[in-house]
Amino acid sequence: MTAVVEVTNLSKRFGNVHAVDDVSFTVAENKIYGLLGRNAAGKTTLMQLLTGQEFATSGTIKVFGQSPVENASVLERLCFIKESQRYPENFKPRHVFTTAPWFFPHWDAEFAARLISDFKLPVNRKIKKLSRGQLSAVGVIVGLASRAPLTFFDEPYLGLDAVARQIFYDRLLEDYAKHPRTVILSTHLIDEVSELLEHVLVIDEGQIIIDQDADELRESATTVSGMATSVDSFVRDRQVLHRSRIGGLATATVGRLSPEDRTAAGAAGLELSPVSLQQLIVRITGSAEQEVEQSA
Amino acid sequence: MTTITNDFGTIQSAPSGVQRIWNVARLQFSNKWQTLGVPWLAMGIIFLFNLVIWWFIATAGQPDEDTGSSYNGASFYLFVYMLVIAIQAMSRTFPFALGFSVTRRDYYLGTSLAFAIYSIGYGAALTFLSYVEEWTQGWGVGLTLFGTALLTTNSFWLRLFIYVAVLLVFFLIGMVCGTVYVRWRANGLVALGVAVALLTIGSVALATLTESWDLVGEWFLSSGVVGVTSWFLLFSTVFAIIGFFILRRATPQN
Repeated sequence: MTAVVEVTNLSKRFGNVHAVDDVSFTVAENKIYGLLGRNAAGKTTLMQLLTGQEFATSGTIKVFGQSPVENASVLERLCFIKESQRYPENFKPRHVFTTAPWFFPHWDAEFAARLISDFKLPVNRKIKKLSRGQLSAVGVIVGLASRAPLTFFDEPYLGLDAVARQIFYDRLLEDYAKHPRTVILSTHLIDEVSELLEHVLVIDEGQIIIDQDADELRESATTVSGMATSVDSFVRDRQVLHRSRIGGLATATVGRLSPEDRTAAGAAGLELSPVSLQQLIVRITGSAEQEVEQSA
Repeated sequence: MTTITNDFGTIQSAPSGVQRIWNVARLQFSNKWQTLGVPWLAMGIIFLFNLVIWWFIATAGQPDEDTGSSYNGASFYLFVYMLVIAIQAMSRTFPFALGFSVTRRDYYLGTSLAFAIYSIGYGAALTFLSYVEEWTQGWGVGLTLFGTALLTTNSFWLRLFIYVAVLLVFFLIGMVCGTVYVRWRANGLVALGVAVALLTIGSVALATLTESWDLVGEWFLSSGVVGVTSWFLLFSTVFAIIGFFILRRATPQN
């Protein structure tokens, strides 16, 4: 495994706010990563740090083995598409696509042209006059057609409808298969991208709380449901992520189950069902908050 | 069957340092309407208005031999506009260029290069217009819009130098204001304004209290137009170098 990104004890403070708090992780080459977390969890700050746009308060960042800050040899292999990207006054999408190849050495103009027609993007309309979804399409097209060895998408599809989002996922997967590269995708729509992701990083209050292979993560939790008494006795010695109860029936989300556990659950008349990535992350980041509330 | 040169699979080599800087300069040129269209259109309108007004004056009475220099400062607009362009370019293209994986260093050098090229282009155009103005005796109506009494006495190269230098001074000042804005937003510009005002008042007070206005006047006279321009250029260059270090720690904000 070649590490494209190596982050060690990285922190970023804005005044008293710990946007990123003592974070360490690595990113392997040619995989699709999901960087997930709630609003203001530190996703954008982390990406800005990795792309040299922000300066770290402490810790080290190595991208392709070197610090990305003011390092042209690293930066020209990166592409960072963010939701809030600003464009020069009076620019039209056409200007963006003619200037992009000057900065992204792997730019594929044919691919860009195809994406423009896929997204039905009006290239001669002023950027200020584009709809929110069209503006997002500009970023998505740059991010895909630049074919940067390390591409960041930060909430890339605000305002894009379901069809356009599906085009994005399809084109990303197609092109990724032909031209393998590392993609880090931050999003709220976890279930939508769940199939796309190979590895998941979950950030909460500036800390990485999950850094796991996506398949392993999906298997790491199961929902147990059945008679409340049976559920209670089954989960007694386990870590419970979430629990709910309606009358005599209960469901509980628990950690990884062994084959023996599964047999035992079946014998106790309990039903087991997988937990979606979204539910799992909601439970984990939500429960962290409950603990804070309890301790407060 | 003809052999087709196959470029497939060759990866474009990464751009060199010079190429990267040039690419940023090209980025600054990609919006010609803002940097060439608007200023010349406005200049053209100003010119036409002046021409009409001076034509009225010329037809109303006999031109007076003692009128002297009639430079009315209208072309000063162009210089101020350069400052505005520089500030706008900074605030708009900086977050964009960083989004395109450009380093702050390459951005600043490329932008400076673009402004230097603009200064030379505009300077050459203004020099040319000042000669046309002379040959046509003030566009036929005694209008002095591009040349000044100070300029018309100088040789071609000195004229060009003064124009280019003054344009550069405005660009560089605009760039420094732009970097301050990009780094510290509006608060930074207010602080900069206050600092400049304090410095100006301080210098005026110093000159007044030490009764050295004569010396100041003497310096201006002895340095001449070229000398004063050169000093301004030197100061602006110092500011531009400061601007570079301000930008090196700036982050693109929304």
